Amino acid sequence: MIRPEQMGYLTRESLAGFHRRKLTTGVTILIMSSALLVLALFVLVALNLGMMLERARANVDVRVFLVEGLDAGRTAALQHPFVAIPGIREARFISKDQALVELRRELGDDADVLEVLEENPLPASYHLELAAGHRSPEAVDAIADELRRWPEVEDVVFSRSWVAALGTWARLFRWGSLFVSVVVLVAAVFVISNTVRLTMASSRRVIEVQMLVGATDTFIRTPYLIEGMIHGFLAGALAMGVLMVGHRLLEVRLEGLAFFTPLQMGGFVVFCVTLGLLGSLAAIGQYLRLRRGA
Amino acid sequence: MAAEAIQKGPLDPRTIISFYHVELRYRDQAALSDVTFSITNGEFVCITGPSGAGKSSVLRLITMDLFPTKGQVVVRGMVSTKMKRSRIPHLRREIGFVFQDFRLLEDRSVYDNVAFAQLVVGVPKAARIKNVMRVLTQVGLWNKRDRLPQQLSGGEQQRVAIARAMVNSPKILLADEPTGNLDPVTAQEIIDLLFRINDGGTCVLFSTHDHEIVKTFGRRVMVVKDGGLVSDEQRRVLDRDQAPRLTDRMYQPEVQRD
Repeated sequence: MIRPEQMGYLTRESLAGFHRRKLTTGVTILIMSSALLVLALFVLVALNLGMMLERARANVDVRVFLVEGLDAGRTAALQHPFVAIPGIREARFISKDQALVELRRELGDDADVLEVLEENPLPASYHLELAAGHRSPEAVDAIADELRRWPEVEDVVFSRSWVAALGTWARLFRWGSLFVSVVVLVAAVFVISNTVRLTMASSRRVIEVQMLVGATDTFIRTPYLIEGMIHGFLAGALAMGVLMVGHRLLEVRLEGLAFFTPLQMGGFVVFCVTLGLLGSLAAIGQYLRLRRGA
Repeated sequence: MAAEAIQKGPLDPRTIISFYHVELRYRDQAALSDVTFSITNGEFVCITGPSGAGKSSVLRLITMDLFPTKGQVVVRGMVSTKMKRSRIPHLRREIGFVFQDFRLLEDRSVYDNVAFAQLVVGVPKAARIKNVMRVLTQVGLWNKRDRLPQQLSGGEQQRVAIARAMVNSPKILLADEPTGNLDPVTAQEIIDLLFRINDGGTCVLFSTHDHEIVKTFGRRVMVVKDGGLVSDEQRRVLDRDQAPRLTDRMYQPEVQRD
């Protein structure tokens, strides 16, 4: 148990390392924040990729072209069976005439070319909107396959390859960033652990005297644990700050670039503090074991 | 019978330290073998023997910095090998320890060095000031409380170390070659100080390899050699005024030869 009268001493001791070794402390925080910056950057890119993917999937344009010669009654009656299929949220009918109007609008000034046509070659179609959770390439494939079997359906067209490629890249990126994160995390813990070990080595006489006069392990450890947590906090806050500035600068060019929410930023800093704590624990454990010759 | 006595707890309620057939090995080498003795509360014991004989090991076994490979070490009723690690700091608060090299914190004043021992165990500030003042007055250094250790003589530094060891009012004071770095006059002052501490009821274990010091002892002397206890005798307690003093040897021919 640590008593209130010991708190002042423990706080002073925790900060003593920063005061005594300004350069080492500065370098440690810089190295660690660089590592954490890489980590945060990967998480942020993964986050943005995920959001882009979700947006892209929301816009998956599934068009069901109907066979020629269906009467108006039958085409209109298809709306209900389409919506009844799980995963289809909405089905909008686009008649031959509407299709031509849309094409004319899309062509703009070049719409004159349509004048040469004697009759409207565009088929009637349904524009399907998929429900969230049914926008993955596999789900879209399944729906398209089913619809193709319907006699009224001529063809089903959707922007499959682009969505699938984006999905693959996002998945690859997630695995890649997981790997890089693990490497970066181990490096960050190692850097902190080394710095705390340096502090402990330079305080070995103090630790020796503490053990001699009956200090508990908790009392001996506390200043170094606090030191590691402060390292983690400063490095995490610095990394987040740099990332924030970078995001502000990029946001001007890339609209809609997402950033962490305040809660996520807080979580990241808490995570960095935990890393600092882990680094210190490793250093202290090793130092005390060596000291005791166990 | 001795075995039963130790396992059931010391027969003599005044026993404060007991070693029962203690063996201590460092890898393949035996540092101590078959050492058995007990020390009662308030005793002053001198442990002597050549360097490397095992004196320091005996002291480190008492503070539970080391643990016996075989046998048992019992300190204030606690068996070292059966004791929870987390209890060891609490035992150490009842044991003061001074060394040949003083082991003071060089960047802290005399006062802070002594107060440190109280801070570590969580003594409130008011009591801390009172206790530090008491021990620093006892060792005659209250007026030098603001000095740094390097501003003091060797003897004074050792007195600071003794004050630090005594500030938590321990039941046992272990002194490992405390006079090893000191001239005879200063060494005698330290020994006199240890005697005074013992007069106050603290059990003192004093280790030295110096024959001259041992000769002046009118107390119990244990001789350790090659890791074994070779003799343990209670010498006649001399009147302090009549006991030979270390300073006497400065006028003896054998000392002058050096």
